[in-house]
Amino acid sequence: MKTKQNNFLINAPMHVFVIIVAIIWIFPTVGLLITSFRPSADVASSGWWTVLAHPFNFTQFTLSNYRDVITNIGIGRAFVNTLIITIPACTLPIIIASFAAYAFAWMEFWGRRFFFILFVGLLVVPLQMTLIPILRIFNQLGLSGSFVGIWFAHAGYGLPLVIYLMYNYISGLPSEMFESSTIDGATPFQIFKSIVLPLSIPAIASITIFQFIWVWNDLLVALVYLGGTPDVAPLTVRISALVGSYGQNWELLTAAAFVSMALPLIIFLSLQRYFVRGIMAGSIKG
Amino acid sequence: MLKKFSLFFVSICLLCLITMPVHAQESVTVMGVWTGAEADAFLKMVEPFEEETGIKVEFTGTRDLPAILNTRVQAGNPPDVAAMPNPGQMASFASQGRLVPLANFMDRETLLTQYSDAWLQLGSYDGQLYSIFISADLKSMVWYNPKAFAAAGYEVPSTWDELMVLSDKMLADGNTPWAIGLESGAASGWPGTDWIEDIMLRIAPPETYDAWVNHEIAWTNETVMEAFEIFGKIAKSNEYVYGGPNAVLTIPFGDSADALFTDPPNAYMHRQATFIKGFILEHFPDLVPGEDFDFFPFPAIKEEYGTPALGAADMLAMFNDTPEARAFMEYVASAKAQEIWVAELGKLAPNKKVDPMVYPDDITRKAADFLGEASVFRFDGSDLMPAAVGSGSFWTGILDYVSGEPLRNVLMQIEASALDAYRD
Repeated sequence: MKTKQNNFLINAPMHVFVIIVAIIWIFPTVGLLITSFRPSADVASSGWWTVLAHPFNFTQFTLSNYRDVITNIGIGRAFVNTLIITIPACTLPIIIASFAAYAFAWMEFWGRRFFFILFVGLLVVPLQMTLIPILRIFNQLGLSGSFVGIWFAHAGYGLPLVIYLMYNYISGLPSEMFESSTIDGATPFQIFKSIVLPLSIPAIASITIFQFIWVWNDLLVALVYLGGTPDVAPLTVRISALVGSYGQNWELLTAAAFVSMALPLIIFLSLQRYFVRGIMAGSIKG
Repeated sequence: MLKKFSLFFVSICLLCLITMPVHAQESVTVMGVWTGAEADAFLKMVEPFEEETGIKVEFTGTRDLPAILNTRVQAGNPPDVAAMPNPGQMASFASQGRLVPLANFMDRETLLTQYSDAWLQLGSYDGQLYSIFISADLKSMVWYNPKAFAAAGYEVPSTWDELMVLSDKMLADGNTPWAIGLESGAASGWPGTDWIEDIMLRIAPPETYDAWVNHEIAWTNETVMEAFEIFGKIAKSNEYVYGGPNAVLTIPFGDSADALFTDPPNAYMHRQATFIKGFILEHFPDLVPGEDFDFFPFPAIKEEYGTPALGAADMLAMFNDTPEARAFMEYVASAKAQEIWVAELGKLAPNKKVDPMVYPDDITRKAADFLGEASVFRFDGSDLMPAAVGSGSFWTGILDYVSGEPLRNVLMQIEASALDAYRD
């Protein structure tokens, strides 16, 4: 009992610090959420914190921003487009990166170290620098304005980081496993399929989150390679077009932010347990 | 697990291929800076065109137009028709040979029956017409609340001296004359550049303004300095402007006019272009244009230069010479198209054949008259300058100046970036 109390006292400053940091982090989001429920005239005339004076006076809240965003023509199509872009643009780099990371970590071949450094070195190349040359190549291949093109683009931009993270995880797996499987006569692909991949599920899960959010929130890559016509435009393009060119109707953005956040939030909150279980399973088996 | 996964992946790919758009129909791709209500107005304008010709207009509106357009043009994948962010950008595309000369299919004589020569000049590069103006905004306007003016016994000033006398009278009454807001995200500072430009046109002949825009005179020139000082006398003052310089720096420009309509008014005057009407009506839907708010021309400072009109305009140019794009350009040049476009947005039409009755209210008609009668019209200078200055150091210079940096330093910084930017 006494030690517990001591522990609590020792940890208390830490807890206070973490809570303060959490509050600071969440503060702007709360402001955004409250603003998204306020009528535009109120938004223009007073700050969101003024509602806290009478938090239960529901007449100061409205759903009209959400209604305007959701009923905006083409938003449904944009949602489907975003899914069409995001799912392959997430799976593609992760499949490639798993193969690559396994090869870099456990297979002997000429120039392994060099190629690994080359790939990871690509992390420092700014995306904006590649837009014009890649768009030129896409034009020649007829890929600009097509979903296939943007899958490749996102896969390419994501690969360096994804390979690096996967490499870190896979190279940490115990080498005895690989040795004994090789002795038992397993081919590299069999090792990859039945040992590396199942063990890497937790890493894949967390890297998927990175890649998913990056692609889901992307505006620039989509605008450049895909264009903004309604049949291909993703959510981000539609949402940025809700606001007038002088910034009118920006209060719609607050609601739109939560609409576009909804799916990632649902996915990750509902899969959270699975991610944690994956990490535990990996640690015990390893 | 792996099988299921790959099956899932393949089916997604198939689904995507099926839903892939097919471009069988004749179409013209258009890229513009218009989003929100402006994009809706644009689509409304092209509706009759689509019905008449069967050509589909595929419109992309993005506020990042300069960057996206430049990327797509350099990569050889430009839209058929695009709005030019400013005449400077138009000239640079034209000089690279990217634009299609409109003389290929449009007759200058016919255009002259609809456009004044000045508009055609502004859309030309090296004597060749490349772009068509579809609307204009007037900037030299001071907005005020006639009821608040009447209640306090204030008269609309017609000269700068009268304006300053009025301002001091307001101060004596315990009121604040001006409302200014410079915040505009990454573009913060631009409302201040309009002030400087308007003042420049009123303290020096238009030739000096042109020389300044083309960087034939330095930023440290006396006239430029005087213009900044006149602006600073108001914007940097704690009394003349609502909230003092701190508020000037932080209030979003779209919200700054709100100060005129509080009770009692937080401020009495606001210098801004025609489009601010949209913000006012959005924030205060019950106000009646012409009764609850109105404008007077930004007054003459030196009598000999009068009240020139400063403005901006929307222009379209053509990158791909297709029959659909030609038909589209001819349509947007027509009075019929512009009547729809300007009526929706309360902008002013460059086409002379546009019926003044399409303007939504007397304020807009008054602005159209002012624009039509002004002896001197000048394009927004910051739009004409190279981007590094006009949408870079000039904006930040305004912010630095208002936040208290010495004028000489500010102007020397702008001058340094200008020396670099005008070189090529």
